[in-house]
Amino acid sequence: MLRFRRRALVREVTQTDYTDLSNVTQPKSAVRRFATTFLGMPIVVKIALIWLIFIVLAAFYTRLDRILGQALPLQDPFYQPFLFGEAKPVEGPSSAHFLGTDVLSRDNFSRLLHGSWVSLIVAMTVVTFGLVFGGTIGAFVGYTKGKVETLTMASLDVILAFPPLVLLLALVAVYKVRNLTMIALVFGVLGIPTYVRIARASTLSVASREFVQAAEAIGTKRMTILFREIIPNIMPALFAYALINAGFVIVVEGTLSYLGLSVQVPEPTWGNMINEGRRDIRQTIFPIFWPGLFLTLSVVSLNLLGDWLQQRVSVRSSAL
Amino acid sequence: MLGKVIAIRSVRLIATLFAVSLLTFLMVEQLPGDPILAILPPEALDDLENIERIRKELRLDDPVLTRYFRWVGDALQGDLGKSYITDQPVSDAIRDRIPVTMELAFLATLLAAALAIPIGAFSAYREGGYFDRAMSGFTTAALSIPGFLAGIFFIWLFTLKFNWLPSTGWNRITDKGLLANLKTAILPSSALALAPLAINARLIRADMIGTLKEDYVLSAKAKGLRDRYILMRHALRPSSLTAITVFALQLGGLIGGTVVIETVFALPGLGTRLISGIYQRDVMMIQGITLFIATVYVVVNALVDVFYLVLDPRIRRQ
Repeated sequence: MLRFRRRALVREVTQTDYTDLSNVTQPKSAVRRFATTFLGMPIVVKIALIWLIFIVLAAFYTRLDRILGQALPLQDPFYQPFLFGEAKPVEGPSSAHFLGTDVLSRDNFSRLLHGSWVSLIVAMTVVTFGLVFGGTIGAFVGYTKGKVETLTMASLDVILAFPPLVLLLALVAVYKVRNLTMIALVFGVLGIPTYVRIARASTLSVASREFVQAAEAIGTKRMTILFREIIPNIMPALFAYALINAGFVIVVEGTLSYLGLSVQVPEPTWGNMINEGRRDIRQTIFPIFWPGLFLTLSVVSLNLLGDWLQQRVSVRSSAL
Repeated sequence: MLGKVIAIRSVRLIATLFAVSLLTFLMVEQLPGDPILAILPPEALDDLENIERIRKELRLDDPVLTRYFRWVGDALQGDLGKSYITDQPVSDAIRDRIPVTMELAFLATLLAAALAIPIGAFSAYREGGYFDRAMSGFTTAALSIPGFLAGIFFIWLFTLKFNWLPSTGWNRITDKGLLANLKTAILPSSALALAPLAINARLIRADMIGTLKEDYVLSAKAKGLRDRYILMRHALRPSSLTAITVFALQLGGLIGGTVVIETVFALPGLGTRLISGIYQRDVMMIQGITLFIATVYVVVNALVDVFYLVLDPRIRRQ
């Protein structure tokens, strides 16, 4: 009897929308909020963010260029002008090729921009898979606990028991197809376990907070608590990790590309550009220098941005 | 108490090793089509008699689980099968090449430790100072540069520009002596050491900053002890526990990390054999080396766990 009365009470409480704060404060627009955040960043983090935006825009620009049949102002990344006597291999910077040309006299700048697509897609896939699947699984097992948790964590430990690069190498070795879709999928799936671990760990700490206990006390359904209270609160920490993880993924993809085991040539990737440049290292370092610089700058930027976010997040969650 | 914990860890270790070996085995097994297509090089597939012979030899018609247990059973006795491309037993290849890989991983750890501890300690001592800020920039850079890129850069700088050190090749200690060996090992292990160096310097710095705020450090200062003495004697000791654990954990990871560095410097290590196995689609070799590296990695990590338990009684209670 008592239980029924409590249910009714709970319904009454939960059906009143206490979260409606529209009369209280006017929320800032997304643009305004972004501008304030951006201006509050340290200068290196600002530069890092600008560099990352440049890389993302460049990657999409090259795709658009391909769709439009190279109508946009950018050199053809596959065109080898030395076959027609127009340019020499490994040329220095000039007005036509302002970062010089590579071993096959192709335009370095264009190939760098086109190469960013592979890094971007692989990193985005890992991050998306990690946040969506890893985040949900981790929050679920961390909140519900029990046998499911033990079993999930134990089976993920098996994947984490391998050194990441070695497992990836073995996997791409046995699969014969090495195109972007397949590489991105392998990276994405193998990336999930660490996200699960982190999501689970932060769920354990969030789940003991007062607001979760309050939600439990008023009888909110567990799944609702999971999606309304827990997941939104573990996301900032998970996202900060995702940025740093994206940097790691770009390094690993670059390494596989360098070994010729990622997306196949002639499709440019930063890693395979470095590999091709190695043959001429005695003459010039530039065909290695540019992709190396792009790779390193992108990873540095992701690390800086990730560190910055992590600090903000830890400040925020300690204030909760 | 400790004995019980170690027993539980051992059971878990064995379970993990089984799972790892199963995954390594299934990686090849789940490929669509006849496993013989994966095991043999394409040139050998025309010779039907040979195929039949190998199929009999490997008893490929048995159920998957039977073959898995046979593979693991053989592996436990040190037999990982043989390459169907070079006819070399996989365990021979591993025995041949493991010294190079081990030396690289060990040297890299040594280098990283020798630099990370003073850098971390001094950064913590002068927190926020010029040195600290410069080192924070350096560690961010060192963490972000891919190992293979650092390797290529070292080759370019020290071999092509300055001509100080050889870029490729390996002198065995037993053949040419320690000095000649170090000459070929120093560049690859430095490239390998960058990432652990950066991680450890950061960890030690963070740990020391905490330690330096302890009361006993203050009382040591009040006693009028010299800063250097306090730093070395009072602060570094409790922080060294973290450092030791992290270094040991990285040793396992470095064995995986050497794979690429060995390829860059063309060293006769386990990694180059794995990569050449991949290029030749030498499935038995890939499977064997992957299992070996993963086993070393898992066992090292488990040992570090136990070692940490022995050192720090506080963790045992959890």
